[in-house]
Amino acid sequence: MAEAAAGPVVTGPATDPAIELRNCSYSYDDSIPALQCVSCSIEAGSWVALVGENGSGKSTLARLCNGLLRPREGQVLIKGEDIRGRPVGEVAREVGFLFQNPDHQLFAPTVREEIEFDLRNLGFPRQEIAERTEEALAIFGLSLCADRPPAVLGYGLRRQVTLASVLARRPSILILDEPTTGLDWGSTALLMDHVGEQHAAGCTVLLITHDMRLVAERASSVLLLHEGRLVAAGSTRELFAQPELLERASISPPPITRLSQRLRPAGMRGDSLTVEAFAREFEALLPESGDNE
Amino acid sequence: MSARFNPYVPRKTWLHELDPRTKMAFVGASFVLLLPANHLTLVLGYLAGVHVLLWQARIPGRRISWLWRQMAPVSLLILLLWPLSNPGGTPVLIDWWRIQITLPGVTQGLLAALRVNGLAFAVFTLLLTTDQSALVQGLVRLGLPFEWGLTLAIGLRYLPLLRGMYGGIVDAQRARGWTPEQEGLVRRLRAYGPTLVALVIGALRLTDTLTFALAARGFRPGEPRTTHRPLRLRAIDWVCLVGLGLLTGGLLIFEVGWR
Amino acid sequence: MNAVVAIEDLHYAYPPLTPDGRSTPILRGVSLSVAEGECLALLGRTGAGKSTLCLTLNGIIPHLTGGAFRGEVRVAGRSTRACAPGELSQTVGLVLQEPESQLLSMTVEDEIAFGLEGLALPPTEIEARIDEALGMVGIRALRGRSSLELSGGQKQRVVLAAILAMRPKVLILDEPTASLDPAGKRSLLEGVDRLRRERGTTVVWATQDLDRVPRLANRVAVLHAGRIAVEGGVREVFGRPDELRRLGLGLPQMTELGTRFNQSRGIDPVWLTVEEAAEALKGMVDG
Repeated sequence: MAEAAAGPVVTGPATDPAIELRNCSYSYDDSIPALQCVSCSIEAGSWVALVGENGSGKSTLARLCNGLLRPREGQVLIKGEDIRGRPVGEVAREVGFLFQNPDHQLFAPTVREEIEFDLRNLGFPRQEIAERTEEALAIFGLSLCADRPPAVLGYGLRRQVTLASVLARRPSILILDEPTTGLDWGSTALLMDHVGEQHAAGCTVLLITHDMRLVAERASSVLLLHEGRLVAAGSTRELFAQPELLERASISPPPITRLSQRLRPAGMRGDSLTVEAFAREFEALLPESGDNE
Repeated sequence: MSARFNPYVPRKTWLHELDPRTKMAFVGASFVLLLPANHLTLVLGYLAGVHVLLWQARIPGRRISWLWRQMAPVSLLILLLWPLSNPGGTPVLIDWWRIQITLPGVTQGLLAALRVNGLAFAVFTLLLTTDQSALVQGLVRLGLPFEWGLTLAIGLRYLPLLRGMYGGIVDAQRARGWTPEQEGLVRRLRAYGPTLVALVIGALRLTDTLTFALAARGFRPGEPRTTHRPLRLRAIDWVCLVGLGLLTGGLLIFEVGWR
Repeated sequence: MNAVVAIEDLHYAYPPLTPDGRSTPILRGVSLSVAEGECLALLGRTGAGKSTLCLTLNGIIPHLTGGAFRGEVRVAGRSTRACAPGELSQTVGLVLQEPESQLLSMTVEDEIAFGLEGLALPPTEIEARIDEALGMVGIRALRGRSSLELSGGQKQRVVLAAILAMRPKVLILDEPTASLDPAGKRSLLEGVDRLRRERGTTVVWATQDLDRVPRLANRVAVLHAGRIAVEGGVREVFGRPDELRRLGLGLPQMTELGTRFNQSRGIDPVWLTVEEAAEALKGMVDG
């Protein structure tokens, strides 16, 4: 099993990577290390998925990226600058973090105040806070419940509120820790579309998820963690083409990818990431003459 | 110290195998002995004895020193405040303005601190060598209503969970730019509002699910229950209890009689 | 038809949050029945009322939650309204989404014993059932472990074992795999599948995990706007993708692929698994 090269291979302008980890290690108590000698770099403007079993170190890695945890060894650079010594509140100006459990954040008496909280903490002027909050309420469909306490809203709405409060800050880097847990397909698509809009506007996205369909559909590259080590870093296609690696990490590609791999003998490339892409590739293979009944 | 606060240290020593009621009797006897204790030698002797028991129970030294460190703030507080509020006797060590500190005051303070530690370690000994289920059962056999015992057990179990929840909440708020350290002391206390509110809400949600889980497990308050591992007082328990009784009685007489 | 679960015209609204507030009805006339040995997948958007419906099946609603309850819910012939919630635990088992808040004891063994002690069974019987439950879920190795140290997937399997030790006829699973990683999801669902095959336990499974539904369930019901909007066999329901989309649900990827080919090539396949799709597609290339 080959160790992956540090960082996905991406050509582009010579700007600093949005996030770079250099040989980072971390352990929670003095026992098993949660993260060992991890080095990777995430290019500005890219959408990277971070995958692996529970306990493989994904949350740890994410928390190193916004300063909530400090590496025992190694360095963490955000936009080319080491964040050692910079308080979390300051790093939060660049890095927005959406936590897995929305209820860990929600405390305010109204949705509006919840969204304002982030902006006030970061010291935005009052006028801008009001503007951005109204904008966020409108974009995320929260205008109707703007004056209700977030804690009494349904789970899907609570998730929307936390997303709105992070995105109102317009961070240049967005880290999402399993944001679609417990959401239905529609809410998942909506959330991902909002993130997609940010991404299209230049935001770098690091998405931790178990949902391989999301990884296939949205991310351009993947970091795979296993037992605290980075065992793969590359494009989604490259990752899904390594069955032994995936097996060890107890991950399987989305059904459509598995189907296209199965149909390699019939002429498929075996790397379809979406239903539409598969369908088009397959139809090109079919004999021109007639349909099947 | 990790977030996994489970006081019980699983071992197979004679101390662990004692009936929890015997160990509770030990705690009771310790209270009877230590509360009125007025002799340094007695209290020091008690602490030494407890540490012998912990050594017999093969409790790791790290855990014991951690417990002492947890008790340190309380001990320190007593050591400082006691002499200040009990300035009687001679010789006087410090006499400044209205503050007078005397040697008897200091020794009394030391004695008080050691007594508190002694009582604490009596309880620690019980918790370190008795698993949750045996503890609850012991209390129930001594007359505690089962529901109270269950509340205690679930409380012990959920302490690490709530702590973890609070940690998660603090993380989430920090990531939103929340920096209480920047505020002055008074505003800093108010700044903790968001985290505490989120914790209370989280705890309330937890209680809901917990109630459902109890119902799903068929829990009906007041109905008779059996137990998976029934407690039995064995010979060694009786030996310990009798020995405990004699020792406590003897020490009390000594305590009262010796001037 | 021996319906183990029979819900008739169920209406339910949670009690209002403030004394003078209103409460919106979540369930507005649900009628559903599940035959013995079936596995019914209960689908619906977040907030549609799947959890609420699950909680009515063992009496937690209305006994522990209050609220406005109208209609009839019968499990194995017993009305949930007439029985106290604890009484139904030997008939209906319930596994909720978060493993952490369903664990009551420090060790796995004590966890499984808890419910059995409540049934006032003698210690020998308790011992036998603990062993049986651990075996059913495949976690004998975890017997003496502290439940605080287990992974999410392992915890959820302990909860399942603790419920199964009560030998319920019906197992209700409310999104039990939502907070688990793929390995955890697999192991839990395999345990449930084995249970169905070996013991014929009836299962009602509320889930968002569409890709796994065809493997475990044989019937599907969709909850929408407080009612059962669609119901039927798995193939039947997934063969109506437009309707499912209208109800705000996604589709298993294979079914989505099938509809894509339906549109472009006029054939009407309902593929539920990768295997089925692969077979059919190979045929299309060769034929």
